[in-house]
Amino acid sequence: MIKRLVPLFFIILALGMLLFASSEAAASASLQGTPTPLPTPTFDIARLDRPETSDPPTQLDQGALYYWGVCLACHGDRGQGLTDQWRDAYGEQDRNCWQSGCHGTDHPDWGFYIPKTNLAPPIAGAGTLARYTNAFELHAYILETMPWWKPGSMTTQEAWAVTTYLLKLNNTQPMGIVLSLSNGSAIPVHRSVSAPPGEKPGALLLVIVMALAAVGMVLQAAPKWMGSRSFPATATRPNFVHHLHPPSIPAVQARFRYTLGAGGLAVFLSLVLLVTGLLEMYFYIPSPEQAAISVETITTLVPFGNLVRNLHFWSAQGLVIVMVAHLLRVILTGAYAPPRRFNYLIGLGLLVLILLLNFTGYVLRWDEGIRWALVVGTNLLKTIPLIGEGFYEFLIGGSEPGSATLTRFYAWHIFGLTSAAAILIGWHIFRVRRDGGIAVPPPAQRADNGRITRFELLRREVLAMVIAGLLLLFIGLLLPAPIAQPLSSTSTDISESRAPWFFLWVQELLKYGDPFLLGVLIPLLVVLLLGLLPYRLPHAKRENLGSWFPRGNRIAQVLAVIIVLGIIILTIIASVTS
Amino acid sequence: MEKPSRRDFLKLITNALLGLGGLLGLAGLIRFLNFKPDPGPPSEFDLGEAMYFLPNSRTMRPDIPAAIYQASGEYSALSLSCTHLGCTVEEEGEGFICPCHGSRYNKDGMVLEGPARQPLRELRVEKMEDDTLRLYTK
Repeated sequence: MIKRLVPLFFIILALGMLLFASSEAAASASLQGTPTPLPTPTFDIARLDRPETSDPPTQLDQGALYYWGVCLACHGDRGQGLTDQWRDAYGEQDRNCWQSGCHGTDHPDWGFYIPKTNLAPPIAGAGTLARYTNAFELHAYILETMPWWKPGSMTTQEAWAVTTYLLKLNNTQPMGIVLSLSNGSAIPVHRSVSAPPGEKPGALLLVIVMALAAVGMVLQAAPKWMGSRSFPATATRPNFVHHLHPPSIPAVQARFRYTLGAGGLAVFLSLVLLVTGLLEMYFYIPSPEQAAISVETITTLVPFGNLVRNLHFWSAQGLVIVMVAHLLRVILTGAYAPPRRFNYLIGLGLLVLILLLNFTGYVLRWDEGIRWALVVGTNLLKTIPLIGEGFYEFLIGGSEPGSATLTRFYAWHIFGLTSAAAILIGWHIFRVRRDGGIAVPPPAQRADNGRITRFELLRREVLAMVIAGLLLLFIGLLLPAPIAQPLSSTSTDISESRAPWFFLWVQELLKYGDPFLLGVLIPLLVVLLLGLLPYRLPHAKRENLGSWFPRGNRIAQVLAVIIVLGIIILTIIASVTS
Repeated sequence: MEKPSRRDFLKLITNALLGLGGLLGLAGLIRFLNFKPDPGPPSEFDLGEAMYFLPNSRTMRPDIPAAIYQASGEYSALSLSCTHLGCTVEEEGEGFICPCHGSRYNKDGMVLEGPARQPLRELRVEKMEDDTLRLYTK
């Protein structure tokens, strides 16, 4: 009976999905800007009343108030500019701005001069604001030049509020978006856009569904409650994914408190990165003018774009942490002993590749946040004797960072480094199986000689993925990935001067002396030392494998802990001091 | 039909939940990929003052692309997009020829020679209050 209901269940689900998807079509309709009507000849004095605001005032209210108090006198109550009609709204003696005591050539100290041509232009209606394509440009101009009599006196908040109000006057105010540095470049001045419908309800629904599925998977493995010990049901046929695993493995190889699940988690995060990265490629534009704007478009305008970008960002950060945990686990349990030495080296190579991928991905934002990291990171290469200059120019495609740099980093990020990492990941996993699975003592010396089937193994893997995916979704919904205004050659703002967190330790080292020694040789030495561990230091005994801190490889353990602690301490110093 | 065990039932529910999760993800994916970042080309063109279009003249505007006619004070326009596969047609004597596949049209946009089958599309031209012309391509 239940099995007959399954198709019905899925049909209902599919219908629900369609409804869900179609709500977006209605929300994305956009309006063309229409000209604001010119002021009527008979002036209604009520037009000068203080604009009504809600409590607390929205950004638009703030902009309307500021405009009413500061800009309106010259630019008109409807953005019509200093027209004759508008001057007629003034008191009799103030109608001629250039002859009044305040704004002529001989203005008093408290007044200011208004040029007769090309000042206080109309700022609403057809043909106005033609110089600006996006809200960020308009905001930057207002901030720098307005108000006429005291430029530079506005706060950035006020400038954004006035920008919103100007867009409102032009009927292109972005619906549901509060303008800021992190989205201003994505908001067009001459076309109205609206924020995508919230991604939180959909994502939360997904979280709830996945959490329930995780509970189901845990319950399935509870033999007492299920009334039988055999799992899964006897007649189950292995599917493709089952066949990627051995028919059964020793239970001790799959114990969480031994493996920490770090290797599997790294594979999962890599898959998330692959999928979210592919999705970002649909909207990302790798040109210096467009890159940061397209990133802002993904975060502000694309439905679920913010979530996708946050997932990509947090998976990448998580991957570094998970890989370091994996490396420490392998060293602190002595698991890298022969025959697993070579696979250890592949893993180390993967860590380096992932760090490079993280760095190139970070640079692709091409916003003010990456300016110094790009300059310092690439200039470090120049300090290498003999080959430094050539290597530098090969990497950034010129004598200084420019559009070629962005294209090359993009190519490395989405293809070069990614392909290399994909090959090494496949090889690494193959070698795990080839080397006899995860390191454990020989059967005779095992405390527990039980085995688990591929079905149970896969169930645990899927469960771990669901839990990790849930965590990732939570983080992605709550914590936004960093973003700043587009990189510009003229910007005088103080940009983020810190390296990305995984290179903070190198940045801290660089404060103490010679850049080649501290910024190139020492990081290389760290990798070299870690790579030599299995080849130059004593190993753990086979019967001690599968548990933490075996006696045999104590020296390697101490060395690894010193290196990792050193890096952590340097990172903490760097993040506290700057 | 055999009564399913508690575990079978649980497994069914779990798999259904995983499936539902997948469908939710798919719905999000469709919405994500459906977003169009570019506004598309304009559909209204300001042609300038009407007096510059002389009586019984034809003005080629391949940038729109359109040909604007003035005949005894009446303004009209033809789209220059070939109705075959969208190349912009060129003037050939009184009529037009498509450089891509050789379709020919007469001066009214009627097909003289294939492969195009439909005549060139007529576009709406309006004379505004300030005596300028506006062309609508939609």
